[in-house]
Amino acid sequence: MTDHRPDPFDQLRNAPAPRPRDAAKAAALAAARAAFEAETEKSKIPAKGNPAARRLMSIFASFKRISIMDMRVPIGTAAIALLVLPLGWQLYSSTALSPTQSVSRPAPAPQPVEEAEPAPVDTRSEAPAVAPPVTTMPVAPEPMLESEAAPSMMRIPSAVPPPPAAPITLAQDSAMSPAYIGTSATEPSGDEFTSFDEQRLKIAAEEPVSTFSLDVDTASYSYVRRQLEDGFVPEPDAVRIEELINYFPYDYPAAPSADMPFKPTVKVFPTPWNDKTEIMAIGIRGYAPPAEAIPPSNLVFLIDTSGSMDEPDKLPLLKRSFALLLDQLSDKDTVSIVTYAGSAGVALEPTSASDKAKILSALDELGAGGSTAGAEGIELAYRLAEQGKVDGTNRVILATDGDFNVGIDDPKALEQFITKKRQSGISLSVLGFGRGNLDDATMQALAQNGNGNASYLSNFAEAKKVLVEEVGGTLHTIAQDVKVQVEFNPALVSEYRLIGYETRHLNREDFNNDAVDAGDIGAGHTVTALYEITPAGEGQVDPLRYGSETTQPAASGDELAFLKIRYKLPGESVSQLIEQPVTPSVAYDDIAVAGIDAQFATAVAAFGQKLRGSAYGSDMTWAEIEALARSARGMDEGGYRAEFVRLVRDAAMLEPDAE
Amino acid sequence: MQASLVGLTAASIPDPTHAYSEALVRRAQNGDAEAFAELIEDQYDRIFRTAWRWCGNAPDAEDIAQDVCVRLGAALKSFDGRSAFSSWVYRITINMVRDFQRAGRRRGAHVDAYAEIAPTEEAPSQEDAATSSQLWDAVRRLPEKQRDAVLLVYAEDLSHARAAEIMGIKEATVSFHVHEARKTLRGLL
Repeated sequence: MTDHRPDPFDQLRNAPAPRPRDAAKAAALAAARAAFEAETEKSKIPAKGNPAARRLMSIFASFKRISIMDMRVPIGTAAIALLVLPLGWQLYSSTALSPTQSVSRPAPAPQPVEEAEPAPVDTRSEAPAVAPPVTTMPVAPEPMLESEAAPSMMRIPSAVPPPPAAPITLAQDSAMSPAYIGTSATEPSGDEFTSFDEQRLKIAAEEPVSTFSLDVDTASYSYVRRQLEDGFVPEPDAVRIEELINYFPYDYPAAPSADMPFKPTVKVFPTPWNDKTEIMAIGIRGYAPPAEAIPPSNLVFLIDTSGSMDEPDKLPLLKRSFALLLDQLSDKDTVSIVTYAGSAGVALEPTSASDKAKILSALDELGAGGSTAGAEGIELAYRLAEQGKVDGTNRVILATDGDFNVGIDDPKALEQFITKKRQSGISLSVLGFGRGNLDDATMQALAQNGNGNASYLSNFAEAKKVLVEEVGGTLHTIAQDVKVQVEFNPALVSEYRLIGYETRHLNREDFNNDAVDAGDIGAGHTVTALYEITPAGEGQVDPLRYGSETTQPAASGDELAFLKIRYKLPGESVSQLIEQPVTPSVAYDDIAVAGIDAQFATAVAAFGQKLRGSAYGSDMTWAEIEALARSARGMDEGGYRAEFVRLVRDAAMLEPDAE
Repeated sequence: MQASLVGLTAASIPDPTHAYSEALVRRAQNGDAEAFAELIEDQYDRIFRTAWRWCGNAPDAEDIAQDVCVRLGAALKSFDGRSAFSSWVYRITINMVRDFQRAGRRRGAHVDAYAEIAPTEEAPSQEDAATSSQLWDAVRRLPEKQRDAVLLVYAEDLSHARAAEIMGIKEATVSFHVHEARKTLRGLL
């Protein structure tokens, strides 16, 4: 379609805009300066308090099992921090005044996390805080890493070749030079995700059995949150609904004993986005053994020290979060550190967790730098793990921003290696850092093969959640290879659809096959799975005209479905079975009476579906999702649900509902 | 015309001025208040003009520009250099306009009324003014994405690539929005 007339939009170019009034300009500039100064003040505080606080934390080691519910305080307390200057950092991490503060967190502050946390780095380096993303790697990184590495490299033992010492001013120069090209990325790209198709609707008469592996990863939620807070709509494949749902703690009844490590809670209630269907929510909470019953752990940290880790939200964040974890360990536990890429080798021989000073100093000496050279990292890490093997948890924890150059190049061979080691009793967890280079697919694959979890630590608060509050779940496995199988009663349920768990789907025959691997559940973990079910007679799919009237369902009374869970106790090879029928006694007429956990999980599912642009459940408006989540906030001691409500609002702004 | 051109060149092409402002950004991020003052002074006129183009009246544009400035002061630390600074400022400005207009949707009628009598510095010839104002009106009433795309590409005279970066979408999507806008306005143009 060629238009011969001049483009009418061209006229827009010629429009004169009025000159701003001087008074208005002056007022705006003054306000901006005030805001800037307030911000600058604020960021100075943690910078001073932090290093001291880290040391102090070990004094409180005797309180270490007390879960400090709130980790989000640093986020919102920016303003409060101004008032509570001298108390600063350790106050909120060691006293009970946290929860109330988190509630008062001002909502419209989308990114205070980044601002409050990476301060220690800001003070000494010019560039990293504004470093261009990894997509611009070829140009930017070389001079930049020096600024962070230089101070810490001084203390590095001679085994590590020091990088060319460059004055810190170099970073500043490079930032001003034309080499700084930060304009290429429209969306943060470079992160890789396994693509998957959404679970489709299934007809209960044809396929009455649904089988999947339980999994408690939460990496997707952290990633989605970070994207939204930065003003980007995450790509659909990054949104794994089950990980969104499982991010939040739910108050399911606890399991009675270690032998029967969990007790499923099932509820059926109407679907908020479709009045013809109902949601069947299956909630499971892992048994949380008392502290003295927790077996010793032997942890080997395999830390990526490649140049790209040299950003405030990567290696420095790792160091700080590590200190948190250390306080959660007991004297029975041992820790060792292996680095790969950049500086490779054993940074810390197996050391008792009681020797905190030694561990922390080894940690402090870690520095990112150099290229990704020489790396027998993973084999070394496993060798150390073998050496210090204990009768308890033996785990390698891989911390990386996506560089999996751990010494085995072929991803398949790497997975096999990890699987083999898993069978010998050493598991693998992956902690992901940063953004732009994160290879989510590999991260997931490795953790799943290694019987571990994959967590994405986007900020300090997240690190605290994973390494402090959920440390039990992260480190102490109570059940392995947990599989869920639900058989629907076609007499009462015509169709069903599992929400999420696409990447954890199992075949029906895998359920009873103990050789098939599945997810592990840690102490105190809560896991939720939602099915959207259509009662008989309301189905969307027409019955077959010529199909043989499928076998009449056995007279199973009024049971909607039958739930079976298979699991192995740690170290055992034969699985146990838990069975439970789903009867109308757990059905509720209104979602409001089904309990806040059910409501909240449903709101998260709706959020995930909408964010993914799913074919199901997109009719719900953001406002409805927000209202549902808001009504289900409950006690919300960690402030996670409040944060979710805010996230829904962010998403609503980025992708407004059609009007 | 001249004035707007001057404003635009500073925004679009990486030139010495551009490099200078990137340097200011960096200094300001490290807590240099003077650098920040200079930076914001530098940006204010452009922010105001953008706001004016989007909302069509000076009082709202002033409010928005002030909000943007405050936001810049508070959020500058979190600017990560992923995009050019000027793009970031654009993004904040456009978001601010959107928030502002959503918050004040009830006053929508007033906004239009103001737009009619919005003072313009250099009044175009009579006929131009009529078409122009009708066109502007129509463009401002487009769905947000279409409006943003059209204004960025035409009123701000940016490349599709820049517009895409600012809007956080793909370049092809910008073209699509502009195309949709043309379709929406077909009767009018």
